[in-house]
Amino acid sequence: MNVVISRDELQKRLADIQSVVDKKTTMPILGHFLLSAGESPSVSATDLETAIKEPVTLEEVREGGNLCIPARKLYEIVREVEGDIVMESEGTEWLRLKAGRSSFRLACMNPEDFPKWPALSDKVVMEIEASRLLGMIEKTLYSAGESDSRYTLNSLLFHIKPEEKTLTVVGTDGHRLSAVKDTIGVDAGEEMKVIVPRKSASELRKFLSQEEGGIRMDIAANHVAFHVGEVQFLVRLIEGTYPNYEQVIPKGNDKILGISREEFIKSLRRVSVISRDHSNAVKIDVSPGRLTITASNPDIGEAMDEIGIEYDGVEITLGFNARYLLDALNALSAERVIFELQEPLSTTLMREEGDENYQCVIMPMRM
Amino acid sequence: MKTILLADMDAFFASVEQRCNPALRGKPIGVTGPAHRSVITTASYEARRFGVKTGMSIREAKALCPQLILVTGDNDKYTHICTALKEVYLSFTPVVEVYSIDEAFLDITGSSHLFGGPIETGRRLKAEIQRRFGISATIGIGPNRLLAKLASDISKPDGLRLIEASEAGPLLKDLPPEKLWGIGAKTAEKLKRLGIRTCGELASAPAGLLRSCFGVMGERLRALGMGVDSTPLHADQEEEGGPGGTKSIGHSTTLPHDLFRRSEMAHWILRLSEKVGSRARRHGLTGRTVTLIMRYRSFETFERRRGLGAATNDTHTIFRTAMDILSSTRLKEPVRLLGVTLCGIEQADTQLALFGGEDRRAGLLRVMDMLNMKYGPSTLTWAACKGESPHRGIISPAWRPSGAHRSL
Repeated sequence: MNVVISRDELQKRLADIQSVVDKKTTMPILGHFLLSAGESPSVSATDLETAIKEPVTLEEVREGGNLCIPARKLYEIVREVEGDIVMESEGTEWLRLKAGRSSFRLACMNPEDFPKWPALSDKVVMEIEASRLLGMIEKTLYSAGESDSRYTLNSLLFHIKPEEKTLTVVGTDGHRLSAVKDTIGVDAGEEMKVIVPRKSASELRKFLSQEEGGIRMDIAANHVAFHVGEVQFLVRLIEGTYPNYEQVIPKGNDKILGISREEFIKSLRRVSVISRDHSNAVKIDVSPGRLTITASNPDIGEAMDEIGIEYDGVEITLGFNARYLLDALNALSAERVIFELQEPLSTTLMREEGDENYQCVIMPMRM
Repeated sequence: MKTILLADMDAFFASVEQRCNPALRGKPIGVTGPAHRSVITTASYEARRFGVKTGMSIREAKALCPQLILVTGDNDKYTHICTALKEVYLSFTPVVEVYSIDEAFLDITGSSHLFGGPIETGRRLKAEIQRRFGISATIGIGPNRLLAKLASDISKPDGLRLIEASEAGPLLKDLPPEKLWGIGAKTAEKLKRLGIRTCGELASAPAGLLRSCFGVMGERLRALGMGVDSTPLHADQEEEGGPGGTKSIGHSTTLPHDLFRRSEMAHWILRLSEKVGSRARRHGLTGRTVTLIMRYRSFETFERRRGLGAATNDTHTIFRTAMDILSSTRLKEPVRLLGVTLCGIEQADTQLALFGGEDRRAGLLRVMDMLNMKYGPSTLTWAACKGESPHRGIISPAWRPSGAHRSL
């Protein structure tokens, strides 16, 4: 292989793949990326959970070929050098790099050993605008588990119902849950539930935010490939059963509160100063026209805050983890939110006024 | 000046056994742990006259006193009486530190006048213990713990002694330092090498010499020699519950036989995990780290720990984590002791779960704990733990009736 590439182009491509390159891996090859200088030149990287492949523009291809290059080191070099970069392989073991008057020699690995890009068979194709999918991930990622032993919770569920032409994205850590539904273009098929690892979903956001048009999702048995512009973003799906989220979204909560989102956030933040060092438990007293938040910590002291709300039902008192309330309130965006309650220990629901498609479910605490 | 009273049961385990079985009264008996690996945990005063001491092997004891009657200890009995004794102490003063299963310090500074002074308080307490439990106690009273302990030590058994602060000097003058509570054989040996053979000499030793030899402890040793001890009482109420008081919850057990196969260790680890889990649940605490302690046949002891994603007090999670640690440990020798500890203690979360599974298990554990609380330990337990009586091991002398870190 012998190619010439502009410094800026190489730096951008390397920046895109850095987060997927596995840094602490036991398999050294995963710390490398694959540069293919064939008919359609590309770079690809993987941590075996997520894989990225994107085209790269080469100024000149003097000799084609593939090479497996240490991703971190090359990125560090490219950031320091100036001018176009000449990359030349010596067998499969070495890369000789020249830029201006600088030259480097980097130990590489055999491209034959790089994990193969899987072929997706029996795939279902879906289309959605990048900005809408990005919004759905942003609205649910906060509630997904992070290191739960119930590993399917450390993910987002993509629930596709072709007959309704809807996609629902769900995140839950077992204590709170968020679900957002939107319409999509999908070519028939059966109802599907695919479980996308949290880290992959989080990584995908970066590419979605750079794309203005629509994207394509190819869903196969074990993988889903997101085609975002020219970038291919492949995710290995988590096997297992996602909890039945539809069952825990409360349907008939009859104590309905209308609250200013901004005021609720400010009030919770103030009371959290006292509650946050421990379990972050706050007590919420709801009475007609008024919501009172209190916290007490035997080592520190007490806090109380009050806001006006729209409510004319019976009084009710609940306990909550203030962080769960704040996370949900921050994920919502409307000026006013609806907070639906039932019993002190039953599931609560928060949503935006006039929007039934985005639901934040929070389980209370036992006071 | 404070008035501290120490109530020390005389040959506690043996007295309890003699009380329960009249045939044993007046005879030399030795209380032992379970089965063949055990030692004498307590000898009755009749046996002590033959030289039988705590910690002797059964063979040694029998050689000294061939007519010695061996009784296997019944820890339930002892813990029950210890808990009931605390009730008695609390009727004399609210400031009680149950120091071990058979000793308790009472701060009677503010309450002794109600009972006619310190000596009369001690006399009444002794009588009450005798009346309710039929066992004798020695009462030592002093201006601090050190002198209360000394008063008790020099008047055992069945004694009652008050040491006034003014008596301390003459009394301690010719006393060997190792007779003092807090000075062990090793320290005494070091002191001897410095030419200090009595408490009197210790009290008048140059502070600089003691500091250079014992570090910060030097000052304290000198104070002890003078009969001064400012260690406050740890009244139980203050230490109970709360993450501030408890840093870890752990249990260990010496196995009846050395084990090498992991599968054979599993049920011991389950039993220990259940003890740890139920104790944590009883006090509303959870922990973030599980530690497995192993001691080889050669007594080489080591531990391995593993963090948990979320704090827990679920027996099964503790067990599974301990087993994970075991399976990732390469054993060099058969194991004679196993221990399971939960650390990173915090107040149990009261956050409710969205999905049923978790709550069902918490509910099961709650019912199990309630039954075991009402009908006794291990009334309802895992099948794998059956066939083992609940308290077969030797009870720890540090056993106390309350507080997460100090009960069975």
